[in-house]
Amino acid sequence: MSSANPDYKWRPVPTNHFRYLRACMVCAVVLTLDEFTRKGCPNCHPVLDYTTGSDLAQMCTSPIYEGCISIDKPTESWIAKWLRLDKYVPGVYATKVVGDLPEDAMDYLNAENIEYIPRDGSENNLE
Amino acid sequence: MSNIRDANLHSDEEDDDDFGEEEEDPRPEKRQKRAPSDDEDDEEDDEEDAPKSSGRGKSRNKSNGANEDDEIEDLEDEDDDEDEDDDDDDDDEGPRRRRGQRRAHNPFLDTMAEVDEDDEVDDEDDEEMEADFIAPGDDDDALRHRAGDDRLHRQLDRQNQADFAEDLEKVAAEMRDRHGGRRGHRLGDASTVTPKRLLLPSVNDPSIWGVKCKPGKEKEAVFTIMKKVQDMKGTRNALNIISVLERGQSMQGFIYVEARRQADVLNALTNIPNVYARSGMILVPVDEMPDLLRVQKKAEIMPGTFVRFKRGKYQGDLAQVVDVEQSGQILNIRAVPRIDYGARDDGTDPTGKRKRAVGAVRPPQRLFSEAEARKYHERDLTSTRRGIFTFQGETYEGGYLVKDVRVTALQLENVNPKLEEVTKFASTGDGNESLDLQALSQSLKASTDKYAPYQPGDMVEVYSGEQAGMVGKVTRVRADIVSMNVQEGPLKGKDIDVPFKGLRKRFKEGDHVKVMGGSRYRDEVGMVVKIVDDRVTFLSDLSMGEITVFSRDLREASDSGGMGTAAGKYDLWDLIQLNATTVACIIKIDRESLKVLDQEGATRTILPSQVAAKIPPRRKDAVATDRNGSDIRVEDTVKEIAGGENRSGVIHHLYRGFAFIHSKELQGETGGIFVARTNNLATMIAKGGRVASSGPDLSKMPEMSKKPGGNMAPPIIPRQGGRDRIIGQTVHVRQGPYKGLLGIVKDATDTTARIELHSKNKTITIEKMKLGFKEGATGRILSYAEFVQPKKGFGDRSGSSTSYGSGNSSAGGSSWSGGRTPAGSSAWAGSRTPAGAHGGGGGGARTPAWAGGAGDGGRTPAWASGSKTPAYGANDGSRTSDPYRDGSRTSNPYRDGSRTSDPYRGDNDGSRTSYGQPVGASGGRTPAWNPGNRTPHYGSGEPGPRDSGTAWDSGSKTPARSLSSVNDQWNDSYGNNSSTTARTPAGYNATSPEFSGGYTAATPGASGLSAPTPGGLSAPTPPVSAPTPRANAWDAPTPGGPTTAATPGASGGDNRRYYDAPTPQAGGYSSAKTPGAWGNDDEDDAPGYN
Repeated sequence: MSSANPDYKWRPVPTNHFRYLRACMVCAVVLTLDEFTRKGCPNCHPVLDYTTGSDLAQMCTSPIYEGCISIDKPTESWIAKWLRLDKYVPGVYATKVVGDLPEDAMDYLNAENIEYIPRDGSENNLE
Repeated sequence: MSNIRDANLHSDEEDDDDFGEEEEDPRPEKRQKRAPSDDEDDEEDDEEDAPKSSGRGKSRNKSNGANEDDEIEDLEDEDDDEDEDDDDDDDDEGPRRRRGQRRAHNPFLDTMAEVDEDDEVDDEDDEEMEADFIAPGDDDDALRHRAGDDRLHRQLDRQNQADFAEDLEKVAAEMRDRHGGRRGHRLGDASTVTPKRLLLPSVNDPSIWGVKCKPGKEKEAVFTIMKKVQDMKGTRNALNIISVLERGQSMQGFIYVEARRQADVLNALTNIPNVYARSGMILVPVDEMPDLLRVQKKAEIMPGTFVRFKRGKYQGDLAQVVDVEQSGQILNIRAVPRIDYGARDDGTDPTGKRKRAVGAVRPPQRLFSEAEARKYHERDLTSTRRGIFTFQGETYEGGYLVKDVRVTALQLENVNPKLEEVTKFASTGDGNESLDLQALSQSLKASTDKYAPYQPGDMVEVYSGEQAGMVGKVTRVRADIVSMNVQEGPLKGKDIDVPFKGLRKRFKEGDHVKVMGGSRYRDEVGMVVKIVDDRVTFLSDLSMGEITVFSRDLREASDSGGMGTAAGKYDLWDLIQLNATTVACIIKIDRESLKVLDQEGATRTILPSQVAAKIPPRRKDAVATDRNGSDIRVEDTVKEIAGGENRSGVIHHLYRGFAFIHSKELQGETGGIFVARTNNLATMIAKGGRVASSGPDLSKMPEMSKKPGGNMAPPIIPRQGGRDRIIGQTVHVRQGPYKGLLGIVKDATDTTARIELHSKNKTITIEKMKLGFKEGATGRILSYAEFVQPKKGFGDRSGSSTSYGSGNSSAGGSSWSGGRTPAGSSAWAGSRTPAGAHGGGGGGARTPAWAGGAGDGGRTPAWASGSKTPAYGANDGSRTSDPYRDGSRTSNPYRDGSRTSDPYRGDNDGSRTSYGQPVGASGGRTPAWNPGNRTPHYGSGEPGPRDSGTAWDSGSKTPARSLSSVNDQWNDSYGNNSSTTARTPAGYNATSPEFSGGYTAATPGASGLSAPTPGGLSAPTPPVSAPTPRANAWDAPTPGGPTTAATPGASGGDNRRYYDAPTPQAGGYSSAKTPGAWGNDDEDDAPGYN
């Protein structure tokens, strides 16, 4: 399948900027906070607009995440499928994002009838 | 490469579609989708013959497929019109498929049914799944060959997946439609969330290879590879890898690459730093792929849970979460502050921080003190509300530091709070214990790995998960999996495996339990009274208080007493070490605890684990000093005389200045044991006939203590240490009703012995003096005094005596004889005497001895003149003698006195005796001696040898005595014995007879001697005897001795001095023969006397 945002192009992150990396709690994409705030989340953008200058970006992304996956072909990747990333843009994702999505973000998602999949590992318990 | 392009193309198309033609979307897309899947199928067909993945994988996939269909159908029902269209589409296809299917499958429908037994899937579905892939005519093969069967399954899988993908697309399309006009984001839609189990990997999915990587560089590698992929995209060398995975901490040192071919992986990883693709890569088995991505949700951070600081001033400190902020990234915590109030005097200086970081000592944990803060830095202190302060940029609330901390700076797992730490948080504001067991348990749960909480034999209960409610007995524990044998319920008798999580120990009320590790109450034992969830409350056997702990910390206490550590390791009345400064005596042993009485007299109940060490029973000769200065040893009977309650008992242990005493009268809580300082004790009965206690009662001799320059120390009675030598000896009774009977000494006190008679089966108590001892070698019968006196010295003396005689004579000199006498006395009995009797006297004695020794000619004078002069003078004077004599007389009395004194000085007898003894010993000499002068006297005095010896001694002593003895004893001695008698030697003897022989003898001797002796007597004999001893002992000591001796006068006056002086002499002395024991004893006594 295709990426959500065709304009998006993954940009390499220099090692010394790793510490600014954050993971989106909704789609788990890993970007620097700067990227989030400037361009928004490549997958969630319209629904969750991080570019507005509010602290939504702060609230909905987490610096605490585990496991990095760089996915080049989300549609082919079983990993992507397993992690439900298969419809997202190619890029770097996290296997686990720690943090709770704030209420208002939840509301946005609900308004779009999008079910939020927690990325913090709690999903496993549903099996 | 082409793939990539294709993919891109597709996506582009799709996006365009999204924008423009919503309505048409589904179908074109579906068509697109179908194509590739068909292609795949073809490929698969090609591969068919190759052996395929395991049956398990297959069946799983298959069942997935079936379920998937079901679910999707469900979903579809809920969907709107578009959906129905889709359904229609499906329906359109459906019948066709089914028809073909049926045709194809008829022959082996049954087979399929069997395989799928468990899956409740409609036959129809099965058929449907198999439909397209089974060519007519394949049937037979399929039936015959397992391979064929496999193929069918695989096809089924593929079909399922294809269908599934199709459905997803359908759903996606709907969504797109619904939100038409939007840019298509693919966030999970409610309808598209597929259960994980439908996503399990299949053989169609790309493989995953694990590649070694430099630990810690995984993330970097992932990014680098991603960059490389992107850089190469569109070039000829575009990389064909699909994704790169890194799992950080849980899979350190590895990255995983998802790709279709291994070559692609290698290609992608060349020239990537820190990745060691060439060292081999591992293909991750399909069924392990989900594990690779397993994400464990961490224990949720809830207010109340405990965390630890990872770094900074509070590193390692426990903190409690007050609040969770910023979606769990920042925690509001409270901790016990570490403030150095006096640290920084100037306001804020930027370097201060750095300094502190380097600073060596970090302040101890202490609750915030407003007073101190105000005292040192009032400016920095502001109070916002009551109980809330801001101090130097930090907020303190209720004494605790309250702070917002990033989660990354905190350790959230394996916090394992210790109870003592937790209790610091327990007594908060409201004052009462608000220890939140719930929170605590949460913090603890994650850290079960510290020790194995479950052991085979434990009864456990599953409280969560599928098997909740199972109760069983642990049979095996492996890692965090417990194998348990179910004891109740329908599964009874079965073995099941359960992870620690969800398991708890099961106890019943009334169980006797013991606390294991991990708790402050470790080793407590008690009876369960209440169980709430996994918290068990039990009534402690020790404190009788209720204790609540987690069931995981409990074990059933074994009821067999033998297991109890307390019983095994310790015995009643053992002395144990509690800590470096405290010892205690065990007064009661319970099954799991000990009741002890510590050295301060406090009783407490402790657990065996609190015993630092057991103090092995001391050698029996451990000695302490009682109030009177006497030795007391273990097993002596003592009495409290000061500060106590007049309790008395037998000493069980001596430790430093404390005695643990067992009293028979004193029962009750301590089991008869009490503790007393040894210097509050007085000996009542010394074990084994050791001379017990009391030196002279000083309080009764005021004069002595008052006399300033006075002379004499109370006579010091040499004592022998240790067990009475006579115990175990075969003796015969020489006096009294049992006279003539033989017996064995069973026990002895200082004056009496208990004899077990050979002839009569009876044990009698008799004075030692009435006993005769058989000398092993000669068969001679010795008196007690003789027996006790060491023999060796005597031999020497006797030997030498003769020669001395001559020597003396040559030396001639009246002075001599005078000297002699004393010398003699000093040397032997005298030696004792002086030593024992009086320091001064001793000195004096020596001196003379010395004089004698040296003096064979010249020394005496020199010596005498030199130091002793006075004393000597007297001695010499012995010639001069009257006074001296008097002294000597005195001495007699003294002796007598000493005898007399026996009663109170336990030792004296010994010592006296000793006096006698030496003499007696010399008895050997005596003869020689006797011949000289005394004999006659003696003869009268008493039984031969001894007496003579004594006499002589006495003689010798006398002088010595006289010197010092004059001093004190008199009073007493006089009272007791007629010192006068002393004068009247003969008479004396006569009188004395009853006294120990030695005694009497001595006296007379003394008296007689002094007077008569002078001339011949002293001359001959002394030389003899004197020399030898002197030679031996004296020579050595002499040097010291003389000098000291010189002091004799003084020493005589002052007991201490005496000691000083004599001691050396004594030492020398003892070495001389007079047995060291004596010398030693003297010393020992001395203190007592003082």
